Amino acid sequence: MYQVTFRFENSDNEVKAFAAPDTTLLEAARAANVAIDAPCSGNGSCGKCRVKLLEGEIEGPQTGHITPEEYADGWRLSCASKIVSDVTILVPDIASAYQSRMKTADLSSGEEMAIFEKLQADVQAAGVPFANDFEEVLVQMEEPTLDDTLPDTERLIWGVKAAIECEDVVLPYYVVRKLAALLRKSNFAVKVVGELKDGVFHVYDAVPGDDAVPLAGCAIDIGTTTVSAVLMDLKSGKLLAKASSGNGQIRYGADVINRIIEQGKPGGVKRLQDAIIKETLVPIIAAMCQSANVPAKRILRMCIASNTTMNHLLLGVDANPVRMEPYIPTFFSWRNLKAGELGLPANPNARVLLAPNIGSYVGGDITAGTLASLIWDKDEFSLFIDLGTNGELVFGNRDFMMSCACSAGPAFEGGDISCGMRATDGAIEAVTIDKDTMRPTLKIVGGEGQKPVGLCGSGIIDVIAELYRTSIISAKGQFVREGARVLRDKHGMGRYVLAEAGESETGREIAITEVDIESFIRAKGAIFSAIHVMLASLDMDVSVLEHVYVAGGIGSGINMENAVRIGMLPDIDRSLFEYIGNSSLSGAYAMALSEAADEKVHELASNMTYMELSTHPGYMDEFVAACFLPHTDAALFPSSVQE
Amino acid sequence: MPFVPKKQAYNAKINEVVLGVGEKATAIGGQNVLPFHTFDAEIKNAPKIGVELTDFGMEEYTMPGEQAFYAGCESVVDMAKRAETMEGASFICLHFEGADPNGANKSVEECVKLAKDVSDATTMPLVIMGCKNVEKDTELFNKIAEALAGKNILVLSARDENYKTVGASAGLAYNQKVGAESAVDINLAKQLNTVMTQLGVSGQNIVMNIGSAAVGYGYEYVASTLDRIKDAALKQSDAMLQMPIMTPVSSDTWGVKEAIMPEADMPEWGNQEERGVEMEIATAAAVLAGGSDAVIMRHPAAIKAIAAMINALM
Repeated sequence: MYQVTFRFENSDNEVKAFAAPDTTLLEAARAANVAIDAPCSGNGSCGKCRVKLLEGEIEGPQTGHITPEEYADGWRLSCASKIVSDVTILVPDIASAYQSRMKTADLSSGEEMAIFEKLQADVQAAGVPFANDFEEVLVQMEEPTLDDTLPDTERLIWGVKAAIECEDVVLPYYVVRKLAALLRKSNFAVKVVGELKDGVFHVYDAVPGDDAVPLAGCAIDIGTTTVSAVLMDLKSGKLLAKASSGNGQIRYGADVINRIIEQGKPGGVKRLQDAIIKETLVPIIAAMCQSANVPAKRILRMCIASNTTMNHLLLGVDANPVRMEPYIPTFFSWRNLKAGELGLPANPNARVLLAPNIGSYVGGDITAGTLASLIWDKDEFSLFIDLGTNGELVFGNRDFMMSCACSAGPAFEGGDISCGMRATDGAIEAVTIDKDTMRPTLKIVGGEGQKPVGLCGSGIIDVIAELYRTSIISAKGQFVREGARVLRDKHGMGRYVLAEAGESETGREIAITEVDIESFIRAKGAIFSAIHVMLASLDMDVSVLEHVYVAGGIGSGINMENAVRIGMLPDIDRSLFEYIGNSSLSGAYAMALSEAADEKVHELASNMTYMELSTHPGYMDEFVAACFLPHTDAALFPSSVQE
Repeated sequence: MPFVPKKQAYNAKINEVVLGVGEKATAIGGQNVLPFHTFDAEIKNAPKIGVELTDFGMEEYTMPGEQAFYAGCESVVDMAKRAETMEGASFICLHFEGADPNGANKSVEECVKLAKDVSDATTMPLVIMGCKNVEKDTELFNKIAEALAGKNILVLSARDENYKTVGASAGLAYNQKVGAESAVDINLAKQLNTVMTQLGVSGQNIVMNIGSAAVGYGYEYVASTLDRIKDAALKQSDAMLQMPIMTPVSSDTWGVKEAIMPEADMPEWGNQEERGVEMEIATAAAVLAGGSDAVIMRHPAAIKAIAAMINALM
């Protein structure tokens, strides 16, 4: 066994771990819970897991991702490096940043908050009342005496029945167990919290009569990349706290397929379940409860919206069949889950509502998002697009809805792109290029003076759209203009330099290569061809669209004009596009708060037709046609022109 | 009431592209109807046949029918002169198989000299086919286009990887005709035509090679791609797909087992030469019926049969 010491850039922390000979650095890091960004799950293809060797020896080739100078300097790919002695490793900040400082559509800005509040008001206006059956009952009991020998449970039940009209009262183990002490401490004046259903009062909790903590609910959106959550007052709907973080499963792969593969390895089901519950949800909920000053046990109702793979991994259900033909998940909807069963920090009897899935690649995040998008409440046709690692679409109106998913890959979140990164500090989020000088102007995430580190999804859309507009690249994404900013490597592959080595935070050049552009063109092609194929299967085209709702973490920064210019979104009146933030979280919030919303989402899910694109005969053809700037059929994008 | 067939000529037409110079110059394309639909409208130019000659010369021509036809030829130049006399042939296709760096790796100078010699000795239009190695082809096409400036040759073909250099030199600098080769996919074919025209190569100077396969070897894809390209070009007036199509047939058909398995090894299959000729005829007939405006063939018997078919249908 060798000792591995992990040090972190910009931090004094140190993690020591032991590793068997010949394990890779990435495996050792995972075992020690050290987060290293490894979107490809460690097969050496993405080059993101670079670390620096400070002391000791590791064995590993210099791969194409690391230059000879960097190799000499100690930089290694952690997935390709075997530990052969005691070592000390520096984990760069770019790799660890994703977990702490990720920018997500998590209601942290006033703009996001306004979108969230508007959606909630709209949902209620559409006839989904935000009401639930939770009640707080103040019970004042007679203290027992030698003559009044009713046991505590019956005393409480009598008390509840005297206070409200109900036929029966059901007490759970969680309450009975603590009843004796509680009643005596609070002089037999308690507040009983429960749900009144069909004349039966189901008790969840009992607290001292003077306790002023509100009844709490919790809504969580589990994305493949990020997790965001809110804590709210179950009676008023008021937000008590909000939080977000990276999905702890990220180190097991960037996309759902890699996660499913990892889950199929021995012990994998438990590893992935722990990564999401213990490492991600528990800390998030704890942090929210702390900031709102609400004990976690007072959370009485939760709702989780997530894609099919994520909810399978969350519940510890084998997700392998999801990725294999004929793509059958274990469940679409699962009711009556209890927080206690999953080990979530909440009242053990709190119901955990799951937004239902409708297919192996269209999950609860979309059904919840559909509720929030309100496309089911309109006569006119709308399209709802959730942009993420998977792109999901829902099209329809109050009479029918169709849904499909396409694999866009991690490009929107910066994966598969040589200088790609998620939208954390230092990410270039917007770009304009001067046609004559070919010089870029960058907008960077982070505080004043932040130097660029890489490119995030919205930045990539901008760069490609601008390179195309200024005729620096051809419609195939190849460089056709020469200039100081356009460089070529020894194989002739072109790249456009956004920031020279001296201008970047990392001291490395930031550039977008022809290969990057090609992967991104494939991602945008997947989205557009899915839109096209789904509409064509209904014998319609984009001219029928009267609303396009764009959701997802990447969405807020998207320049719609540029997204149309590269042929990712249809060329229709730009005023029809509306960004609706994290619609999955909005939908989950409504479900957590409202019985009617929960019912409505299940109704929507059962009314949605799922279209499997991977088996659609025309999809591949449409996809190839869309892998061009803006599209092989230029007539679809009349407003996208080169200058 | 008498039956009056409805004429189905289209408003759009396939571009007419002229190859070569002088008396023997030949035009392909120009029609506004589907393949051989002479009953809908007159077809201006019948589909043309080119004779494939590889730079390896006689050593590659081992079938008795070929040996008989080229009897006495000592060089590729001799063979080219003989090929001009072949019944049904309209142009010559010089195939530089030997340029392949993974094969004989003949120098570019050697290839250019051969092209020049053949061009000087013959009058038919010349089509230059490369070795499929992108880098070598790029250099080869540039140099041959330069050496044969003014001869109005066709280089077959520019591909996705080298359209910029090949298009710029052959198409723009030396004003030759440029082939645009894609891999049996209507969208890729259109994309290549689009970027080539964006580069400045006139659509009138482009001939498509949309890829092919010997019949029985995935030919269904070729059939549907040809159908859809002609539909888009004529019915939807898609200017980016109105370039005429030239299909190299013999290079595919003389590589499949039906054509290369000697009779000694497979007596139940019968005579090898007949099999090879039949594969060539069947494939050429299929691509012509699908919409190819020219085919490149090799065996004199096969060329004769296809020429007869074209005559009968026109």
